[in-house]
Amino acid sequence: TEWNVSLWGKRRAFTEHVEKLAELVSEKTNGEFTLKISYGGLSKNKENLDGISIGAFEMAQFCAGYHRDKNPSITVLELPFLGVETLEQEIALSMAVYQHPAVKKDLARWDATLLMPSPLPQYNLVGVGEAPKSLADFEGLSVRATGGIGKAMATVGAVPTSMSASEVRQAMDSGIVKAVSFAPHAHMSFGTIENGKWWTTNLNPGTVNCPVVVNTPALEDLSDAHREALLGSVDEALEYYVTQYESKTMEAWGPALDERGIERVTFSDEEIAAFKEAAAAPAAAAWIEENTARRLPAQELYDLVTGMVANGS
Amino acid sequence: MEPIEIGLIVSGGMLVLVVLGMRVAFAAAAAGMVGLIWIFWAKFGYDPARFGKALTIAVKTAGQVPHSKISSQALSLIPTFILIGYLAYYAGLTKALFEAAKRWLAWVPGGLAVSTVFATAGFAAVSGASVATSAVFARIAIPEMLKIGYNKQFAAGVVAAGGTLASLIPPSAILVIYAIIVEQDVGKLLLAGFIPGAFSAVIYGLLIIGLAKTIKNFGPPVSGFTWKERFAALPPALPIVFVVVTIIFFVYNPFGGDAWGTPTEGGAIGAFVVFVMALYQGMRWSELKDALLETAKLSVMIFTIIWGVLIYVRFLGFAELPSAFSDWITSLSMSPMLILICILLAYAVLGMFMDAIGMLLLTLPVVYPAVMALNGGEAVSAAESTFGMSGPMCAIWFGILVVKMAEFCLITPPIGLNCFVVAGVRDDLTVQDVFKGVTPFFIADAVTIALLVAFPAIVLWLPGQV
Amino acid sequence: MAGSSLVLTDDSRLSKIDQRLYKLEGYLALLSGLAVFSLMLLAVFSVGGRNLAGQPLPGYVDWIEQAMPLIAFMGIAFTQRDGGHIRMDMLVGALRGRPLYLAELITTLVILCVMLLLVWGSWAHFDRSFDFSAPMWSSDSSMDISLPLWPAKLLVPVAFSVLCLRLVLQVWAYGSALITGDDTLIAVPLVADAATQAAMEAEHVSAHDK
Ligand code: NA
Ligand code: NA
Repeated sequence: TEWNVSLWGKRRAFTEHVEKLAELVSEKTNGEFTLKISYGGLSKNKENLDGISIGAFEMAQFCAGYHRDKNPSITVLELPFLGVETLEQEIALSMAVYQHPAVKKDLARWDATLLMPSPLPQYNLVGVGEAPKSLADFEGLSVRATGGIGKAMATVGAVPTSMSASEVRQAMDSGIVKAVSFAPHAHMSFGTIENGKWWTTNLNPGTVNCPVVVNTPALEDLSDAHREALLGSVDEALEYYVTQYESKTMEAWGPALDERGIERVTFSDEEIAAFKEAAAAPAAAAWIEENTARRLPAQELYDLVTGMVANGS
Repeated sequence: MEPIEIGLIVSGGMLVLVVLGMRVAFAAAAAGMVGLIWIFWAKFGYDPARFGKALTIAVKTAGQVPHSKISSQALSLIPTFILIGYLAYYAGLTKALFEAAKRWLAWVPGGLAVSTVFATAGFAAVSGASVATSAVFARIAIPEMLKIGYNKQFAAGVVAAGGTLASLIPPSAILVIYAIIVEQDVGKLLLAGFIPGAFSAVIYGLLIIGLAKTIKNFGPPVSGFTWKERFAALPPALPIVFVVVTIIFFVYNPFGGDAWGTPTEGGAIGAFVVFVMALYQGMRWSELKDALLETAKLSVMIFTIIWGVLIYVRFLGFAELPSAFSDWITSLSMSPMLILICILLAYAVLGMFMDAIGMLLLTLPVVYPAVMALNGGEAVSAAESTFGMSGPMCAIWFGILVVKMAEFCLITPPIGLNCFVVAGVRDDLTVQDVFKGVTPFFIADAVTIALLVAFPAIVLWLPGQV
Repeated sequence: MAGSSLVLTDDSRLSKIDQRLYKLEGYLALLSGLAVFSLMLLAVFSVGGRNLAGQPLPGYVDWIEQAMPLIAFMGIAFTQRDGGHIRMDMLVGALRGRPLYLAELITTLVILCVMLLLVWGSWAHFDRSFDFSAPMWSSDSSMDISLPLWPAKLLVPVAFSVLCLRLVLQVWAYGSALITGDDTLIAVPLVADAATQAAMEAEHVSAHDK
């Protein structure tokens, strides 16, 4: 059996778990079951879920925030200020949400079965100009931040501006936006740190959730041995991903900042609490209301996530 | 059958359709559709009972492409660039520009021809389309050259060649399309086209001066303009400068402050400025409607080619053809530079028979990864690379080379669109006349391309500054 | 080249239908043109809002992405009617009479088949983004401000259907010419040789040149 896997961009930290999965599956089945990974050749990233639903390929990665209406249930994981601190915690939360019956049903509309997350650390801002000393300094600051993070930034007076990721560097260099919100690996690959002057260490307004899914009929068609080889390799692939992300990206991140003399801006606990107060509760309330209207058990999903965070899992 | 073989057979079939005279956009879409059906059916082992399923998957896969690929912010530059060109007619910008160039430059040997080249280069800074540029200047510049005794074939050749500058000097629709196919920074590529475009204009100018000095009774210089007349010609041409400056400020603020916007916004604002000027010149709704319809038609034509070809490219992705070609190129034992030159020569041949945009869309998904692999990959550093430049810089350099080749194919027989347009404007000229007149410019273009290959800094210096 | 070719008309039923359809196609194409114009205004609002009022247009990119299908697809049949989709006409330019009609009939039939399949495929693409039971009937939305995508996706099968009508008409025209062997083709773009075509293009330009 050969499966086509649709990813996008280039091979990077963000795709290492899929690469590892392909390696493990092939090993365990003596090459009888292989995953053929394509970077952008099979679909545009925003259409990966469509491709799964059509049956054009068997496995794909996408981010929930690209198209909230396609996958409303998992956008709970993208709410601002959930308080997630580690990649392991992000994995545990995602896996719990992915197992929820309402979430399974939501993705079943696309013939998709959620396999594993691609955990990313919290987004933070890299900016030019004077570093903000307090949240009040965000007043009127133009920020490239989309979706929920953009809304969160607006609650402290920042001006969220939308543009494609490929224009971000130019927009920041030319002063159209003063700050950009990304995960560290994206700050490095889109070059925002090249001219950036400061980085917020603990704003942590949230992150994106980017699952890897498989086409459900294809999964059911697999022989028991092959399916076991696939599902049984997920944990190891994720472990590998976390090691890679932490060793490669996070270890490169600090020195990358130092090399360029980028100032680290850390806000006091009170300020973060105030920010959270202003942004988190309204966003959560809006999310619950919106998704209850979609006949999702929105409150239950939200409680599941916040409960797990509170329990420190 | 292996996917790669299917890829090759279907590609051959597409060429047959194109030669048969099928509209290129649909020939590509047809090839892509047939190819996808074939690939999925092959995956099902050609089981007749599962043909329906293969067909459904293929049709739905192809059916995503038009909307999904066209809904892109970067592609929005194309219609706004075209709109700028059409509105410029109504604003009277082109005529004023030629008059100014004439009064300032016509005193050199071959003066009027040199003026024409620089006027087209100036217009290129507001126009994104070569064919339109040649058409306008054929009406404005050729009569004046004939009046003072230019060889009519040569006069026509100057205008045909000068028009090609529009696709290198920003804004340029072709450069934007290249940037999108290869997923590179649009702003940097547009910036990178500026010096090579101006460089091309200078080489054209030098060629004309050289010819005027060696050939008797070529084109006498035109002297006698007073400084007063020279300065009097400037204000009417100022609006062009104003539009150019506006667009520049959207990419990069030369005074060190913030730029006013992104390149995609710059194109749209440029169009707005020309629109206001055209209104000021008394443009009416019926004329605006004509301009909008013409813009729509040209945009639709280009977008149809884009999604048609991208259906075919989607099929190539499933057939794994691009990676196979890239592996093959990098396994060749020739020197990388020689391979690059062979690729450029192949473009010169292909460009004789094809439209520039169609040619890029068809070939780049296969050729571009190969060239990047030759240089050492997308992420290679300048020090470790084959051509002595980083991955992103190589993408820019190759883009400018390819677009220069695409310009070249606008003036080469048998299908050189610019030459057809110039011959069409002038009743006293045949297409053969124009092709004859444009021949010297092949040499100029060959020299330009050789210099751009030998000295990549000409291309890379400016984008390296920002 | 985008140049318009000559399309002959007479008082036959075929030609009357052609002219009716052409009118509809013209309105749709004008919609394309107006969408380009709105793109320009959108940029003015976005840039002006950001630089003068300190408040950029929310979801600027999302709005552009909504306008693009309007520009790219609405004029597709209009362009086909005028022969504006480019092709290599070296071969068909050399043919005359029945062989020419046969070649045109074959390629037009192929286009019709592809477009019928694409009406199906693009409808399916729309259908996946459309859900009667969801808020705003949306099951696919834009990235920044969550605009429903189904209206833009619906434009594609609609525009492609109009193109299919146009193609049926052209198949009819070429088919009947093939049967009767008439010298004059009605309702389809004539193959001018490239030079004549360029002359018409140039005429168009000069009409606007003042
Ligand atoms: Na230009
Ligand atoms: Na040519």
